[in-house]
Amino acid sequence: MLGPSADRRRPLALTPGEDLVGFIASYLGRAVLFLITATSVLAVLLILLFVILRSTPFLREFGVREFLTSRVWRPTADEPVFGALTLIVGSLYVSIAALLFAVPVGILAAVFLSDIVSWKIRNVAKPVVEILAAIPSVAYGFFAVLVLAPWMQRRFGFSTGTNALNASMILAVMALPTIISVAEDAISALGRELREASYSLGATRLETMVKVVIPAAHSGIIAAVVLGMMRAIGETMVVWMASGNATQIPHPWWDLSQSIRTMTATIAGEMGEAPEGMAHRSALFAVGVVLLLMTFVLNIVSEYFLSRAKKATGKS
Amino acid sequence: MNLGIRRTLDRVFTGLTGASIVLLMLVLVAVLGPMIYRGSGAVLFGGTIEFRKMQRDLFNRADRAALEAEIAEADRARQVVYDMIDRFKKGIDIATMSSEAREINREYGRELRYRDVASEEYTEAREVARIIRDKLEEAFSSQDIALIRANVAEVLAQKDEARFKGTVAERFFSLATDFLDAAEHIDLSHYHDYLVALDEVEVILFGSIEHPGLLGPRPNQSARPLAMTSYGATRWDRAQALLDRLLWAEKWVEKEPGQPLVKARSPRAALFHDTALEPLFAYVPEHLNEMLRPRFTVYWQFFIDDNFDSHYFGGVGPEIIGTLLITVVGMLFVVPLGVISAAYLVECASEGPIMRILRMSINTLAGVPSIVFGLFGLAFFVLFLFPKLGFEPKACILAASLTLAVLTLPVMIRASEEAIRTVPRSYKEGSLALGASRFRTFVTVTFPAALPGILTGVILSLSRIAGETAPILFTGAVAMGPVPKSIFDPTRTLSYGSYDMAVGDRLAMMVPHNQYGMVLTLIVLILVLNAVAIVLRSRVFKKLKGH
Repeated sequence: MLGPSADRRRPLALTPGEDLVGFIASYLGRAVLFLITATSVLAVLLILLFVILRSTPFLREFGVREFLTSRVWRPTADEPVFGALTLIVGSLYVSIAALLFAVPVGILAAVFLSDIVSWKIRNVAKPVVEILAAIPSVAYGFFAVLVLAPWMQRRFGFSTGTNALNASMILAVMALPTIISVAEDAISALGRELREASYSLGATRLETMVKVVIPAAHSGIIAAVVLGMMRAIGETMVVWMASGNATQIPHPWWDLSQSIRTMTATIAGEMGEAPEGMAHRSALFAVGVVLLLMTFVLNIVSEYFLSRAKKATGKS
Repeated sequence: MNLGIRRTLDRVFTGLTGASIVLLMLVLVAVLGPMIYRGSGAVLFGGTIEFRKMQRDLFNRADRAALEAEIAEADRARQVVYDMIDRFKKGIDIATMSSEAREINREYGRELRYRDVASEEYTEAREVARIIRDKLEEAFSSQDIALIRANVAEVLAQKDEARFKGTVAERFFSLATDFLDAAEHIDLSHYHDYLVALDEVEVILFGSIEHPGLLGPRPNQSARPLAMTSYGATRWDRAQALLDRLLWAEKWVEKEPGQPLVKARSPRAALFHDTALEPLFAYVPEHLNEMLRPRFTVYWQFFIDDNFDSHYFGGVGPEIIGTLLITVVGMLFVVPLGVISAAYLVECASEGPIMRILRMSINTLAGVPSIVFGLFGLAFFVLFLFPKLGFEPKACILAASLTLAVLTLPVMIRASEEAIRTVPRSYKEGSLALGASRFRTFVTVTFPAALPGILTGVILSLSRIAGETAPILFTGAVAMGPVPKSIFDPTRTLSYGSYDMAVGDRLAMMVPHNQYGMVLTLIVLILVLNAVAIVLRSRVFKKLKGH
């Protein structure tokens, strides 16, 4: 403690020599904090390591080629075949279908929230999006199975209500909050100048949005779409409950009323029946690896576009 | 382009953006509406006397004296139904009647032997009794009303014989009278159809070993093994549905050959036209109130009760406990980790490659699909770490909590980071200027100021953990099982329970109120948590801005 009688010539801060304990504690503390923070890195590495480790027995026995190219997924047959192509296509199929529903609505909603309504209305509309994001996925799945599926079967006469259309509609709803909030951030981050310049040239709001604002914010919007895709591709409960889980690639390809099966649903559904030590189990881990790699790639793409969006708005 | 067209297009665009938000609101209503409407039925409904009986027997929860009185009242109204059915059965159930005739004959013989009569008299009496029995049996198995009348008349001619007075043989005559009475009213050529139809009515009214009935088992019926079939309709809406089934017979008929079958409804009373059972179909709807005594019930114990027969009766108590346990244990790990990480990211780290790797990892972690967390939890915690630490390698609460903690770590870090960043610089600078160390500044100044914001992050992580299903599929959730005794037991949770009841068996479909009640409980829990977080956040925002 520096009392009133302290030597006035001393520097205010303590030197390391004078406060060795404090100095060490400070560095040690930093190191400990760093280690704790590094848990996230550790977690990512452990996830990668363990999921890949568990899948190697299968990949060594059956090889990657059949896994990625065969359309036959027959894990419990006497001569098991593990072709994940149908599952990979299924995951991409519902996710892309979901984006077809979600992206137009999402961008329109983002424009609505950022450019059209007053702060007050925005404060009413925003919680709707937040609640949609907060509803747990199992509740969406519940809705898909018990409300939407019977309704679609009655209304459109599909042979089954649990199909690709059902799953992708629900996935669209689940991806929307992500798309809206990221796209809205990107659109509103552009600032007034661009808009005002466009309006002063006599452009209408539609023209300003479509020809000026959205092109200028395209990086952020692409990032939003990619993040939405990530959400859809990684979603498990909804697709498991709503997609019908038939191992097939829809034929004709645009027929959404057919049941399909995704990677996530396969893992969720078959893990319980795949005993430890069997090829089936490590095949499911291999599916997990594919899923993980897909989300890594999407993650990198979204980071790239997000940083580009940041730079773009930073300059303007 | 024409100005008018441009203006119209502009309006259309504005309208479309508004429509997209309206669409979202509609989706929200469509998703939450049915759940709130049907789920609230698990707690608020018209509870019948059967519900109160069930509560008394299964949960030991009743005003016994009052309930006994009520049951007596209800039984009085039900007795009429029992009598009607018994009376109708007398004329229709030939097997029972034949065996009864045989039984009377046998008993009569026994009675004669005890009564010490002369041997010729004994032989004669036995002979007459046997003739009566044969006549009756012939009448029972006949479909010719003339023959029945003749046989019954012959039997009844013996009624005044002195030797039958005061003996068991008198039952022959009441049997004959009842049968003739019934036979006069029914189409004898269809007696088998009556039997089938009667059986259906009995199942609807009294239930069977697998179907719960409207009134529950009859008082003298033997106890049933399952709780769900031991009671009548416990809820008024269920009672109405069963009443509808009682009054209307449904049949799948082929309207045109080759076309799918269509359901056709016809009044069931028509099946029993002109018989002793016909009045039943007027009596039951009229007196259903007295027989079941419905009363508006607030079954708040839904949130604490265990369930019986896969959620046919009872509530979601263990599921709530399980969800809270997993959530709390998970928070014990994720909160310190998240807050410290956030503190490091804001206070200590400087931009550079290390920082980039950290940020990248957190973002990657946030993007990993939830089912992959499940795989990771199984492979790492359950199968790798637990055996190393000497625990049993099985799915349990601890494994589920750890898995979910890793899953929510990014949520927690981001929220805490934002909270710490929003603390005004002046706070920190003031503290540093007073000579406090950076550590001290953080603990005594920054952290308390950021606390409400951190709490928001805690609540958001809570709601995320409570709602996740996929990661705990293989790490700790079960559909059925005892309440966990420690964190090394697996548990039921609201999220997995919702899944299980949605895709579950026929049984869950029979109790949509419990099905929706489960998922509504989960949603309400999560939305309340989120609402608290939103309110907290806006308050903090205002407070910190005010300075």
